[in-house]
Amino acid sequence: MATVLTINGETKSFDAPPEMPLLWVLRDILGMTGTKFGCGIAQCGACTVHVDGKAVRSCVLPVSAVANRAVTTIEHVGGTPSGAKVQKAWLDAEVIQCGYCQSGQIMSAAALLVSTPNPDDADIDAAMAGNICRCGTYVRIREAIKQAANGRQS
Amino acid sequence: MSRTMRILASLVVIAIVAVALGVFIIRGPGPLDFAGGTKVALADYRAGKPTGVPARLEKANLVERGEYLAKAADCMVCHTSPGGKDYSGGLGFKLPFGTLYSTNITPDKETGIGNYSDQDFLDAVQRGKRHDGARLYPAMPYTSYTYMSDEDVLAVKAYLFSLPAVRAKPPENTLSFPFNQRWAMMFWSAVFNPDTRFAPDTSKSPEWNRGAYLAEALAHCGECHTPRNLGFALDNRKKFAGAITAGWQAFNISSDKATGLGNWRDEDLIAYLSLGHAPGHGAASGPMGEAVDHSFSQFAPEDVRSIVAYLRSVPPVPSPDLPATTAPVAPASHKDGVTADAHGKKVFASACASCHGWSGESPVSPMATLTGTWTVNDPAATNVAQIVLSGTKRHTPDGALSMPAFGSAYTDDEIAAVANYVTARFGTKGSKLTAKDVAELREQTAD
Repeated sequence: MATVLTINGETKSFDAPPEMPLLWVLRDILGMTGTKFGCGIAQCGACTVHVDGKAVRSCVLPVSAVANRAVTTIEHVGGTPSGAKVQKAWLDAEVIQCGYCQSGQIMSAAALLVSTPNPDDADIDAAMAGNICRCGTYVRIREAIKQAANGRQS
Repeated sequence: MSRTMRILASLVVIAIVAVALGVFIIRGPGPLDFAGGTKVALADYRAGKPTGVPARLEKANLVERGEYLAKAADCMVCHTSPGGKDYSGGLGFKLPFGTLYSTNITPDKETGIGNYSDQDFLDAVQRGKRHDGARLYPAMPYTSYTYMSDEDVLAVKAYLFSLPAVRAKPPENTLSFPFNQRWAMMFWSAVFNPDTRFAPDTSKSPEWNRGAYLAEALAHCGECHTPRNLGFALDNRKKFAGAITAGWQAFNISSDKATGLGNWRDEDLIAYLSLGHAPGHGAASGPMGEAVDHSFSQFAPEDVRSIVAYLRSVPPVPSPDLPATTAPVAPASHKDGVTADAHGKKVFASACASCHGWSGESPVSPMATLTGTWTVNDPAATNVAQIVLSGTKRHTPDGALSMPAFGSAYTDDEIAAVANYVTARFGTKGSKLTAKDVAELREQTAD
C-alpha cells in the first residue's frame, strides 16, 4: 500500500511497511542521505528531523506515525528562517569538524530557535544534550547558536 | 475421663478451632464471591457458554482450540526463558528466599511433560500436583487455573503435545530452608487452593460469566493485580487493588474511579488489552506488555469485551498510595515547572527529552506520552525505574515502537535521579528513589 508523506513541502508517495523508521524511508527509499544514521535508538541525535516543527529522532519513528504531519529534513531546513540563520552561523563559526553529527545538530538548533528565539546556556543544554558530537565541537555549537540568535558575526 | 484428659481435650478443641478460624480469616473470600448471585454447576448453566473457545473456533480441532486457550492462559511467557525455545522452561523467578525456575512443558519425555497422562496434567494444572506426586510452588498459578474446565485443560494439553519436544532441563531451584521443602506446599494447597471448577453466576449476564472465566481461570489477572495475604495467597478482600509482582507495580484494576479503572472508557480498556496502549493511559510494559503481546492481543474481540464487562463489576478498592487525579501536562519549557533534581534533569535532557518532550506529551507518538499515566504518577516510581532499566517495546498493527533499555548504560544513581525527576515533573509527587532501591529493582526482575 502506498504511503504518502509531506516532506520539505513536497508530497512523496512510496511503498514501505508501516513500521519502517522514517530514517530508512528518507535514506533508502527517497535517497535523501543528508540525515544520518548514528545509534538507531534515539540516543545520539544524528538522525534528527523536524515533524510539525519539532525536533524528533527519525531512527525510532515508524513512518506510520508521521502520516498527515509535515516533515522537514536537513536538505530543506535552510529554507526556513531559523534554519537559514543557523546554517550561516555554523559556517561563520566553522563549527564542523568531521561533520557526521552536524545534520542533527543543525536540526536541533533550528528547532530550538523557533521555540526559544534567545536561548541562554541552560536552554541550549536542555535542547542539545541529546545530540552527541564525537569530535567535541560543543563549544563552537554553543557559540554558533548564540550568533544565530542575535544575528551578530564573530 | 480424668480431669487432665478433659483439660487436654479442651485444649485440643480450642487449638483446632483457633487454627480453623485463623485459616478462615487469612483465606478470606474466593475470587468470585463478590458477585453474590446463585452459582450453578457449569453443566446446569443454559444461558450461555462461559468456557471453551470463541464462536469462530467452535468447529476447530482440539489442538487449535487448545492453542487459543494456552494463549489465553498465557502459559508461554513464564515457561520460556530469554533466548530459549518456546515452552521449554528455565525462566527464573527471583524471590527473597531464592530463585525458582519454570519447567519445560514441551512433550519431551525426559525433561518435559511427555509422560503426563490426562489425569497427571489435570492434577498439575488444577491441583498443583506433579506427575511424581511432588507439590508445585504457587508461582504456577494453579489456584487460578483450578477454575478451568477439564475439557479446556485437556485442550491445552493437546496443544502442548502437538509442539516439538525440546530437550531442556531447567536449572535447579535455589530456595533456602524452609522454602525448599516442597512437601510443605501440601498444607498451603489444602488451605488456599479451592480445587473447584468455574461455576457460573445466574444473576449475571452470559457476557459477564465469560469474562469472569477468562479473567479468573485463564488470564489469572489477580495473580499480579491482587495483593497477597500473610500466607502469600491472593487477598480477595482487596481484589484487583494492585500489587508489586516481579519488581513491577501491577496497578489497581478494580472499578475505583480515582485509582482504578472506573473512569476508563470501554474503548480505552479494549484498546489497552488488545493493543497495549490507550490514549492518555500510556503503554503496557514489563509483565503486562508480555501479557498483551502473547495473550490479550490474540483474544477474539468478543472475549476482550467480556473481560471489560467483568472488570467493570469488580468492587472499587482505592489505592491510598496513588493520587486522586493524575497530573496535567507539564510546561513546554524545561525552565518552568519542577526543576528539583538537577542530576535527573541532566539525564532526562540527554536520554529522554527527544522522545518524551519537556511537557510529557511526546512529539513522536501518543504511545510515548508520559502525561496521565499511572507510571509517572506513582510516587514510588517503581515502573519508571523498571522501564528505564529494561526498556519497552509495543507492537501494534501500525508497527512497533520501542524504548531502549538503559540498565547497562546508566548507573543506579543516575536511574534513581531521572526517575525522581520524571515523577516530580510529570506526576503529582516526586519519588525519593535511591541507588540502592534501583539495585534492588534490578534484582527482582525475572530472567
